[in-house]
Amino acid sequence: MIWRSVSSLAAAATVVGMLSLAPIRSAGQSNEKSNAKGKNLGGPGGVIAVNGVRDENLPPPPNGPAPRFYDGKPDLAGVWLSGNYSFSNMGGPLPLQPWAQKVLEERRATQGRDDPEAKCLPAGVPRITPYPFKIIQAPKVIAMLFEGNVHSYRQFFLDREHDKNLDPSWMGESIASWQGDTLVVDTVNFNDKTWLNGAGAPHSDKLHVTERYSRPDLGHLDVEITMEDPGAFTKPHTFKRSHVLSATWEIHEYVCNEFNVDVDRLVGR
Amino acid sequence: MKLAAAVLALLMMLVTALIPAFAHHSFSAEYDANKPVNIKGVVAKLAWVNPHAYIYVDTKDASGKVSRYAFETSSPNALLRRGWKRDSLKEGDEVTVDGYLAKDPRPLNDGSLHGNARLVTLANGKAVFAGTSADDGGPGK
Repeated sequence: MIWRSVSSLAAAATVVGMLSLAPIRSAGQSNEKSNAKGKNLGGPGGVIAVNGVRDENLPPPPNGPAPRFYDGKPDLAGVWLSGNYSFSNMGGPLPLQPWAQKVLEERRATQGRDDPEAKCLPAGVPRITPYPFKIIQAPKVIAMLFEGNVHSYRQFFLDREHDKNLDPSWMGESIASWQGDTLVVDTVNFNDKTWLNGAGAPHSDKLHVTERYSRPDLGHLDVEITMEDPGAFTKPHTFKRSHVLSATWEIHEYVCNEFNVDVDRLVGR
Repeated sequence: MKLAAAVLALLMMLVTALIPAFAHHSFSAEYDANKPVNIKGVVAKLAWVNPHAYIYVDTKDASGKVSRYAFETSSPNALLRRGWKRDSLKEGDEVTVDGYLAKDPRPLNDGSLHGNARLVTLANGKAVFAGTSADDGGPGK
């Protein structure tokens, strides 16, 4: 039963996957676009979207209006999976200062060998993983719990200002407010140890991330992300992501350090 | 046959040339897309561990010498969502693994030869994708 996908389907997956990788990688941020290109290969348990973006048995997102929290605000809670996960795409080249561009090129040349994520360290903000995350909402705080790459979390505080006395941190400090039906999350207080994406774009501890979360319908969570970093960028950079509600999924335990034999075998070239 | 092989090689090159991507680490940081392997043998064990599950396969060469390969796969959670279970592969099951050898030639601490599995085919011909994700930067599926 488990092995219902047969070799011919796998072969088809190979071809479809190969042929569709390039256009999807460079495609925009629309989840609908990604899903439309997915092929139902009848894999075990349902649809395998072989679209170069996601191949798990992601159920199609449910239809319906965005739910409301009891205070009338949009309810963002749910288990979400990036509908357009990309290891490196942040909506085009980042406006990096020369030193930062040099670091990025070094990291590319060594094929991501020194990626902190491979050492089971937090991915940072706004980097995402291909694993789902969960949003839990309360009136004064909204929390994101990440399944991977480590069990990190973020808290969006709605009842306070930024604390000027915190030590720099991996995930930063996030202060949020509602602007109409959009949750605006302002995050600062980062260390400079994370990579902005899998390609290896660096940032400084002056990184300032503004995220604008909206839930246009039951099944989607859209985010517009602006990164400013006077220490590494020449100008602000804005891009969009869309996440899909994984209505039948739960986040699961993922203990990255359990058997990370990779860490001293990442040789790069 | 030659043409098909050339086309396949070209496709592989195209895919490999794309931006490396992986869930936990870059494929190309650890594995060599130029060292594909096709290993037929029996399952020694399925290690259901993070950040990547491992399939251990014992294979015999022409002289009868047995080698054990440890193939990295996706995370247990990702495999689970793809329809695998921790007991999907049992000791003694016949399998064929299409994968790639690690760039670092050292065996794992238990002496297993180290590779990355892309496709696992059972004795009955059924096959499943074992890699991390379609967007992991690895060559083919």
